[in-house]
Formats: sequence, structure tokens, C-alpha cells
Amino acid sequence: MGQSLLIPALLVLAVLSALHARVVAYDAFVRGAREGLETVVSVAPYLAAILTAVALLRETGLMDAAQALLSPLLTRLGLPRESLSVVLLRPLSGSAALAAVSEVMHACGPDSRAARIACVISGASETVFFTGSLYLGAAGVTRSRYAVPAALAAYAAGVIAAAQLV
Amino acid sequence: MLLVGIVYAAATGQAEAAQRALLSGGGQAVELCISLAGTYAFFGGVMGLMRESGLAGGVARRLEGPLSRLFRFEPGEEAALPDVCMNLAADMLGMGNASTPAGLRAMRTMAAAKREPGRASSAMLLFLVLNTTSVQLLPATMIGLRAQAGAANPADIVLPTLLATAVSTACGTGICLLCAARERRR
Repeated sequence: MGQSLLIPALLVLAVLSALHARVVAYDAFVRGAREGLETVVSVAPYLAAILTAVALLRETGLMDAAQALLSPLLTRLGLPRESLSVVLLRPLSGSAALAAVSEVMHACGPDSRAARIACVISGASETVFFTGSLYLGAAGVTRSRYAVPAALAAYAAGVIAAAQLV
Repeated sequence: MLLVGIVYAAATGQAEAAQRALLSGGGQAVELCISLAGTYAFFGGVMGLMRESGLAGGVARRLEGPLSRLFRFEPGEEAALPDVCMNLAADMLGMGNASTPAGLRAMRTMAAAKREPGRASSAMLLFLVLNTTSVQLLPATMIGLRAQAGAANPADIVLPTLLATAVSTACGTGICLLCAARERRR
């Protein structure tokens, strides 16, 4: 129940801080909303590509085969098999994970355990490989040492935590 | 992914299923975008308010103390601290547009201070891992997705998400500090 208040509270906080900083709240909101809409438009082509690929994997039964193959491991971790696609795609691409989460919701219903776990995993992690290559590339790093293992271990810990928490 | 799917479809004789999938994906993407547009506009608006009222800057200043103790900067690297804080503060508030430029600036500042070019320092690695474990406080996209799918309470994943984030961030930080400590001992 208390969590329903979060978003109204966030808006109140944002408006109050705008008033405090003497910013015209309405204009600032509209500028931000425009950026939000631009973001949606800019990810649409990626979503089209990824959802096509995910639909292909599902319709041809390849996803089922992969889930069946990995289901002993998933069960041991407490993960529903439907969440496999999200677990695998999340470190690679944000829009792919978004597409996969929406697939799970579609297939299992938004309040199913699989869909909730998919949401928690997706919300609690980042695109490890994209962020990693972006940041290391910007710094001209060629010897990344323990960066990738540490980031992936942290991701795995988050996934296992999500399975226990939901 | 596409190629793997098509090859698998061909090998198992399911050209029809493959065709159906290929023609439905684009439509699904457009539906998903339309269903997300409202939430993105709303949260974008809230982010706009926060950005223009300088909230991220305030959070960043408050992070400076604790973070300067967590990061063991090599000489010269501490110049990156304000950008490190700004990046993590913007990440917490979900302001991706503001966090990435600050993050890249921080990495470049730290890289410029090094004697050994091309080798990531411990502070750089900790910063990188923090950026890959997501410190976002409110999973706005997921809430929007759940709202549009008709979830009973779209925001009820916030608490588990925060806890899972805390676990992964703590693990990432712990691993980095351990690796760095082991190296210093050598």
C-alpha cells in the first residue's frame, strides 16, 4: 500500500525542489517530457529488431529448448524458466531486456512471479557489457583486469537476490 | 539472434512459424513503444524538474564525503571526484542523460593521471563496476511497463528491486575492494 504513494511523493518532491530553486515548474516538466518521448522514439527501431528476434526464437521453439536445457540450473537458483531470456539479455542490451520483460508479462501475466522477477532483475541491473565497453573505451583502457568478472559476479548476485526476494 | 533463429527454424522444418514471428515482431515493438510513451513522458517531466532545480548537484555534494573514503585514488586521480559523485547521483535519480557525460569525464580524468597508460586503476574499476550494478532508486521503466500491462499495483516491485540492487552493488564493491587490497599486499 505504502508503495503506491512513491510516485505521487516523487512528483511533490520534484515540484517543491523546483519552487525552491525558483525554476518555472511547468516549463521544466514539459522540456523533460519532450526528452522522454524522444527517448521512446529513439529506442523504437531497436525494439523492432529485438522483438522480431525474440518472437522468432519463441515461435520456432528454440527458446523452449534452451529453457528446458537450463531448467535444472534455473530451478536451483529459484528462477522461473520464463525469466531465462531476461537473465541472458539484460547484461547485453537494455532494449533487448525491455522487450524480453514485456514478452514475459504478455505470456505469464503482469502479476505472475516470472514477470515480477523479470522486472526486478531488469530494474536492478545495467547493461554490463555496453557500459563497460563505453567507459573503458573512453579512458583508452586496454587492460581491464578484473572489471568484467567483478561486474558479472555482481550481476549474478543481483539475479540470485531477485529470485529470493520475489 | 535472428540468424540462429532462422537456421533453427530451417533445420526443424518450421518455415511457417518463422514467417509468422518475423511479421509480428515489428507490430509488437510499436505497441510496446506506444504503451511506454506516456510513462516516459511523465518520468521525463519529473526528471526535467529535478535537473533544472539542481537536485542532482545537491545529492552529488552529499556523496563526496563517503565516496572519497570508499575510492582509493592514486595520486592525481582525485580530480575526478566531483564527476564521480555527479555521475552516481544522476544514476540514483534515474537521469541517464546527465550521468553518462559525467561518468565518461571522470574516467578520462582518472586515465590522464596514470603513469601506466592502458591499465585500469583500482579506482577506475570500482567506478566502472558501480556503474554496471545500477544504483537507480526508482525503476521507472519497469513501473510503467507494469502499469500498462494492468498489474494490480505497478509500484510493488520497487522494494525488491532496491534490495536486489543493494545486494549487487555491495557485491561489486566488495569484490573490487578485495581485489585492490590483494594487489597492494603484493
